[in-house]
Amino acid sequence: MSGKVGRSGQERLQGAGLDLALPYLLLAPSVLIVLGVLVYPLWDGLRASTMAYRYGAATESVGLQNYVKLWSDPQFRNSLWVTVCFVSLSVAIETVLGFALALFCLREFSGIRLLRTVLIIPMVITPVVVAIVFRLIYASDVGMLTAFSQAMGGGAVQILGDPTNAFFGLVVLDVWEWTPLLFLILLAGLQSLPQEPFEAARVDGAGPWRTFVDLTLPMMRPVLAIAIVLRTIDAFGTFDQVFVLTHGGPGEATRLVSLYGYDTSFKFQETGYAAALFVTVGLVVLAFALAAVRLLRSVDQT
Amino acid sequence: MSGDHFLKTTVSRRTLLRGGAEVALGSALLTMLSAQTPALADSKKVIIGAFADGGLTPFKEKIIPLAKAQGFDIQFLEDEYGVTLEKWFADAKNGAGQYDLYLLDDPWVPQFGAANVLEDLGAAGVDASDKDWVGSLIDMGYWPPRQGPRVKGFESATPTLICIPFVGDLQTLTYRTDVYPDGPPATWDEVLAKGKAGVAAGKIKYPVVFRGVTGNPIVTSWYPIFLSYGGQFFDDKWNVTFNSPEGKASAEFFVGTLKQNTAQGVVEFDSDQEGAAILGGDAGAIIQYSGNAVKSDDPAASKVVGKLGFAVVPKQVSAIAQIGIFIAGVPKSAPNKANAIDFLKWYTSKETQAKLAEAGSIPVKRSAFAVSDPGNRLIPVALKQLDAGALPRPRTPDWAKVEEILGIQLNKALQAGSGGGAALDAAAAQVKDYLTQAGYYK
Repeated sequence: MSGKVGRSGQERLQGAGLDLALPYLLLAPSVLIVLGVLVYPLWDGLRASTMAYRYGAATESVGLQNYVKLWSDPQFRNSLWVTVCFVSLSVAIETVLGFALALFCLREFSGIRLLRTVLIIPMVITPVVVAIVFRLIYASDVGMLTAFSQAMGGGAVQILGDPTNAFFGLVVLDVWEWTPLLFLILLAGLQSLPQEPFEAARVDGAGPWRTFVDLTLPMMRPVLAIAIVLRTIDAFGTFDQVFVLTHGGPGEATRLVSLYGYDTSFKFQETGYAAALFVTVGLVVLAFALAAVRLLRSVDQT
Repeated sequence: MSGDHFLKTTVSRRTLLRGGAEVALGSALLTMLSAQTPALADSKKVIIGAFADGGLTPFKEKIIPLAKAQGFDIQFLEDEYGVTLEKWFADAKNGAGQYDLYLLDDPWVPQFGAANVLEDLGAAGVDASDKDWVGSLIDMGYWPPRQGPRVKGFESATPTLICIPFVGDLQTLTYRTDVYPDGPPATWDEVLAKGKAGVAAGKIKYPVVFRGVTGNPIVTSWYPIFLSYGGQFFDDKWNVTFNSPEGKASAEFFVGTLKQNTAQGVVEFDSDQEGAAILGGDAGAIIQYSGNAVKSDDPAASKVVGKLGFAVVPKQVSAIAQIGIFIAGVPKSAPNKANAIDFLKWYTSKETQAKLAEAGSIPVKRSAFAVSDPGNRLIPVALKQLDAGALPRPRTPDWAKVEEILGIQLNKALQAGSGGGAALDAAAAQVKDYLTQAGYYK
């Protein structure tokens, strides 16, 4: 009898120990993964940004020198400026177009489901493939635009060989590929809006423009904020398309900061400098995202 | 057992923990087994990494089958040129062991050499003293270089053979025999004068074609012109000398005169477009590596079969081309190191090199140039160019950065169609800054 009591007491104790440990044991894999793939690389990146590298190996600690050097590097300043211009222009156009398309596709009519599906296709195509296709469109020797121009009696169309045209060519590519993302998010937002205010406005005789300005836009502001912030962060990291389409050229006209960072790290083996560059860009992106959210919040409060 | 019963089964904590431990143990055993399997099976396996280039086509088509007959199990992994340097350097540096052999572009040798990630092939038994090697090619396999300036930290180091030439590629002139009926143009003036006559006669659209894309492509196209004008890139102390009067004259000629005599969209031309221009019959002449040249007699690739000839590059003061060979290195982390070295010894033997020449590729041993039936008309011309004058790019681990800076400035000048000299001055200032920071002048 006493033996039975002893065993059950031991089992109770084991059970209590397991009760205490089990949540931690179950959480452990997730925590380890987060530490391994998020916290450690971030910490290692920060550490690397304070080191000098030569021939692929860290040689000495240089403190914040890499960060200071960035601002006297004309190539970095140029690539950051090109990136800011590219992101601002692309995201602005994509937002306007995406919103317009979402408003259009909000209505129910025959074929609308097919249209919605077709509109999101560009987004699901691999970016490298999109860049190759656009290269075949833009190429001045065998490109589609040149072929069309020549068929109409014109000459070769210069897109990739001209700095301004190449920049806008890259923006067009990005708009084509990523407007569907904005469209999708904004369509979902529009579909989730309550219908009562719109019905009341209709009864009061408000026209479509007034309804859009006074109801749709204010109610959509939080969704717009999320969509713009997400797309801005994503656009700052644009790499595949520019790598394939122009590789930063002509000159430095389309050299986005992601491409410059990639070359600095992997081609020129300046690992520490590249780490400082990416940390700085990360802070710039964070500042952009916070500014966008604050701007929309402040407009909301007024 | 019904599905209902399964759903109602209670999973105890003990069962969960025991199950987890069993899965972990099973995974560990599987990993150990899978790690052991290749070692048993791959006795003569060699994993070769290469970048996609027409210059390797004869090797792939004719030599790999021969190697297989010799008992080598060749795995040939190809990548796009633009990503191979960083991919292989990371593989070598991190000891990932994904490759047994890299077929490097020769300017990358210093970077791998300075990082000390490649095997000493001399110590492994590769005979570099064999007089049959083309001297200028085997020299490129040493780090630090046996001749010329050395970078900081390697001034007194003993040169070690870390790579051996694999395909002896270098620039030569390809020209239209109907546009230049009296033989190959010997000077740039002749290239342009007869080329313009060819355009007027409707035989071609423009006299010359080259690569104008920023970075490596434009520098590669400008380099032989720079050399032919008598330019020198660095002096013996790494002082920048490419913006000398000779260098500036070559850059002005390149971005001005040559641009006026080539395709309108040359600023965006890379090797695929320049290849299409010469093989498609649009251009009268081109300085190029063997990748596109070897396709000249292939009706599937060329519209002008029988109308293309090869010659040494035109001269201004001399006719010097750029050497850009495929060069093989074995990473220290190679999983099948001994096989890779055995393969290289077999591949660079007199007999295999002769087979390579018969297959149409430029060999790296002199005896192979003398085969009775070379697989390509380009091969004897390549030897002629090697003997007339051919130079590698400067042997520095920082060449990629130098080339990038210069390429951007030249590309900007090419867009403008003028200002080649100013472009070189701007590039020289940036290169000097960069090399100063890198400790070249301390």
